[in-house]
Amino acid sequence: MNAESSVRGEVHELSYAESIRDAMDIALGSDERVVLMGEDIGVYGGAFQVTGSLVHKYGEDRVMDTPISELGGAGVAVGAALTGLRPIFEFQFSDFSTLAMEQIVNQAAKLRYMLGGAVSVPLVMRLPSGSGTGAAAQHSQSLEAWYGHVPGLKVAQPSTPRDAKGLLLAALEDPDPVLIFEHKLLYKMKGPVPSGYYTTPIGKAAVRREGTDLTIAANSIMALKAEEAAKTLADEGIDAEVIDLRTVRPIDRETVLASVRKTGRLLCVYEGVKTLGVGAEVSAMVAESDAFDFLDGPIVRLGGAECPIPYNPKLEEAVVPQVPAIIRAARDLANGAI
Amino acid sequence: MPVEVIFPKVDMDMERGRIATWHVKPGERVSKSDPLFDIETDKAAMEVESPAEGFLHHVLAKEGSEVAIGVAVAWIYAEGEDVGDVPEGRPTPADAPPGREPDRDETQWQRPAQATSPLDAGNRRATPAARALAAQRGIDLKNIGGSGPRGRVQAKDVIANLQAPEPPLDTRSLPGWRPERGDLAVVRSGSGAHAPILMFHGLAADGPSLEALDPLLPQDREVLKMELPSHGRSPRRRVAGFADLARQVRVRFDDLALDNVHIVGHSLGGALALALADTRPRQVRSVTLISPAGLGPEFGGQILRGIIRAGSAASLGPWLRQLTSDPATITEDYVRAAMAARGDAAMRAAQADMACTLFPDDTQGFDVSGTLNRLDCPARIIWGRDDKVVPWRHALRAPGKVALHLLEGVGHLPHVERLEEVASILSDNVCRSSRSRAAN
Amino acid sequence: MPDTPPGNTPYAVRAYRPEALREALRKMLLIRKFEEGAEECYMRGLIHGTMHLSIGQEASAVGACMSLGDDDKITSTHRGHGHCLAKGAGVDKMFAEFFGKETGYCRGRGGSMHIADVAKGNLGANGIVGGGLPIAVGSALSAKRLGTGAVTVCFFGDGANNEGAFHEALNMASIWKLPVIFVCENNRYGMSVPTERSTAVKNIADRAIAYAMPGVTLDGNDFSAVAEAVDGAVARARAGDGPSLIENVTYRTRGHSRSDRNRYRSRQEIALWTERDPIPRMAKMLVSHGVMTEDDVEKMEAAAADEIASGIEAARSAPEPGVEDATRDVYTVHSEAME
Repeated sequence: MNAESSVRGEVHELSYAESIRDAMDIALGSDERVVLMGEDIGVYGGAFQVTGSLVHKYGEDRVMDTPISELGGAGVAVGAALTGLRPIFEFQFSDFSTLAMEQIVNQAAKLRYMLGGAVSVPLVMRLPSGSGTGAAAQHSQSLEAWYGHVPGLKVAQPSTPRDAKGLLLAALEDPDPVLIFEHKLLYKMKGPVPSGYYTTPIGKAAVRREGTDLTIAANSIMALKAEEAAKTLADEGIDAEVIDLRTVRPIDRETVLASVRKTGRLLCVYEGVKTLGVGAEVSAMVAESDAFDFLDGPIVRLGGAECPIPYNPKLEEAVVPQVPAIIRAARDLANGAI
Repeated sequence: MPVEVIFPKVDMDMERGRIATWHVKPGERVSKSDPLFDIETDKAAMEVESPAEGFLHHVLAKEGSEVAIGVAVAWIYAEGEDVGDVPEGRPTPADAPPGREPDRDETQWQRPAQATSPLDAGNRRATPAARALAAQRGIDLKNIGGSGPRGRVQAKDVIANLQAPEPPLDTRSLPGWRPERGDLAVVRSGSGAHAPILMFHGLAADGPSLEALDPLLPQDREVLKMELPSHGRSPRRRVAGFADLARQVRVRFDDLALDNVHIVGHSLGGALALALADTRPRQVRSVTLISPAGLGPEFGGQILRGIIRAGSAASLGPWLRQLTSDPATITEDYVRAAMAARGDAAMRAAQADMACTLFPDDTQGFDVSGTLNRLDCPARIIWGRDDKVVPWRHALRAPGKVALHLLEGVGHLPHVERLEEVASILSDNVCRSSRSRAAN
Repeated sequence: MPDTPPGNTPYAVRAYRPEALREALRKMLLIRKFEEGAEECYMRGLIHGTMHLSIGQEASAVGACMSLGDDDKITSTHRGHGHCLAKGAGVDKMFAEFFGKETGYCRGRGGSMHIADVAKGNLGANGIVGGGLPIAVGSALSAKRLGTGAVTVCFFGDGANNEGAFHEALNMASIWKLPVIFVCENNRYGMSVPTERSTAVKNIADRAIAYAMPGVTLDGNDFSAVAEAVDGAVARARAGDGPSLIENVTYRTRGHSRSDRNRYRSRQEIALWTERDPIPRMAKMLVSHGVMTEDDVEKMEAAAADEIASGIEAARSAPEPGVEDATRDVYTVHSEAME
């Protein structure tokens, strides 16, 4: 489980959305039990055109348009997973999963435990997430910490086309419910994606850039912003290590702790609301561990502002961490100025 | 049952010390009485032998860590014995972290315990890394200026403190200097099959200052002279204290891989010779100390400061003449030669820093007298009764087995003032020691 | 309720062999004795937590499961002891679960409210009102997609019919023509609020019209009537004609849960429904049609009581789960990273 499973075949430039579709295509083509469920994922191709034309290839029985019934739809997916199918359930926006909290949190996450291990719920849910599209408060949230708080769920957040495919295929192999938060701003981003089947391990962070002066632990799109910030910091002589958490439950303690033991400084960057967010967990993880002894400055968190995502583009940009803010925080931390 | 390796008490008023070097790695085999680790205290450094034969495990105290006496720092397991968790029952370094008094029975032998509170260091703003580093190096955070916000001490502040413990007291007229890389210089002369002689010069001197002895010593062996940091051809280095200096010397000594050696030291070099004999007893066959430092507090710092500060023959001469009983011994040629060797102002600045560290307030800030009692090789002390730098009465702290040669009408430089006599005593010590070891 | 007139043989007697009918009565008795036994254990302080008793509703549970095999699924409710036993669970493992023991159906992790015998097709009791409805639809979707021929009976109470999940589930089952039978056990109260005050329609089965499926309201204490309606719906589902909604009007003679003080209903009402107890009615039907004698019924009742007593005894001495295993079975593959 520690490395991307062996990759054979060629590498293509695919967008994040295409890469997810590629994964679903492979899954539908190789396993009769796999069905896609979601609102407008058929001929419409999905709200973000992720399922695209898969319905034409596999038919409406395999690529199922659901009514606008998030709770019922999620519950049907739970029941189907419980009894032999491998559903991939798409929420149109991760915000709408709040309508299905009951089925996700009370049922999918807990059934195995409540029944003493007698069942598994091999369910994959895809949740388009995050701000930056001007869709305002009810279509822009980052709710990964909510679900990451629930034992029984696994929560992944790919930040590259390659990981988007690998994590989805890994989620399908996983016997337990996996929620994949896909950042909406990444759907069009291109990157190298191996053709054919491979998996990216759930629970393993990626060190995107090695460095010695501070550790930036980030999730989803923030990992990319952190990488960009690290380039500027390098010009200033600050050598930042960037960790893309990739999954927040299970969270890869060891990679983070090893990095902090090396750098002595930790900056957490995440788009979700700062309070009680992913960065709180990462910070506490370090504070509770032996890596604490290596800290040579306070732990710093950059998270979303304590407000809903606003509509106005300037405000929208201001309420989530951006590259200049990451640079400032990293610089101050590395220079011992905070 | 595994055998505990205890951090031993080696000095009477010792409460804690540091592990300088482990000679055996965890999991490695060790025989009884093999050297296991070196310890350093404020006053001494010495080697601790393995209490048993077997395999070393559970090494709880890392190199550089400070440990209270009586604490178990590792265990030795017999061949085939199951290695499980750390055995319980004895205090371990984790039980008694630096800064806390260990539990002891023999409190009547201890200095009154200082009323230290864990908060003494804790109320200083410092990062966890800085605290860990300070604890490891035995540095009090209170003495460190913090460069972070609100005066927070960061790791770099502790590191800077390691390298520059105190600003030089008397260096306003001296130029600065930068530490250099490289090994301590070792000057070699002569050759032969017998155990070589290794010499250590004193503060503000150098290897060549002992050269005059060479032709008068037994010609059947090599003579080596190790030059101290910031002296002679050795690199300029920061010295954090006597223990640090002794460690630097020991590291270079270990590089030389000398199985048997007679060691000779003058003044500060004498103290270093004692420290080395304490940590490497197997390699050292005899010790000859000439006007050694480290046996008592008094120190003629004014003379040494004068020598170190002098930038010309005119200012150097008067101070050099203080070293000998008869000022006429120090000729103008001698002064010019000495000044030529001291022409590098940066070297003089570095020596001034070292002097400030080792001899604060004209006091010998270190004490190696305990070492004399532990020596198990022949040892002699040669001292001039007119020594104005280190009083000869310090020699009286030596135990009876150490021979004492007190020379009338001689100052701090017996090897200059009475070259032949000193060479003769030294040769005698070397040859007798060789015979006695051979007879065994 | 009038006795069945002679010559007018009830559906159940016509449809099932005598062994099956006797087994049905045995299960009803077992459910009754089980719940009475559990109630007594609770009152003696031997069981903690709470439990929701279905005393008075046994005909619905057993009647609805008559034509189901082990491959067919049920989803159950917080008032699910009857469903569990009706679907074939054993008394011993159920009591072990009540006592929180490692040998229970859920290894002591679920208790009364999550009891399930998955091997017998019971996907579990559910602590959330309406929680099982979409899950049952998902189960039916699996059966259809995988072509197993299995049907799913979804038990739910009158309270759930006002949950969004009910409407979403019925709608999806209908649009996809899934083999699922929604069996509403209308026991008249959602905790304390009567259906007249909580539900806009007179009969819950009236809601079936909205989802284009057959709906029927019937006497839920009449075993034969329940069996007849459900058997018909099962046949329809197996034939690929989609879901049905059946409303069994019944009554719980005990309170909602152990903390209920019955402030919302009268003693007279409880007494009235006690007279309609489905178990004596079932026994009388079987005796009157010569399926068994009064003596057989008494012996059957005594045997059920014995089975319950020994189940309780065994459960009391069964091993407790280890505290060190408290986080086991959260995930299928246990890993320290998940703790």
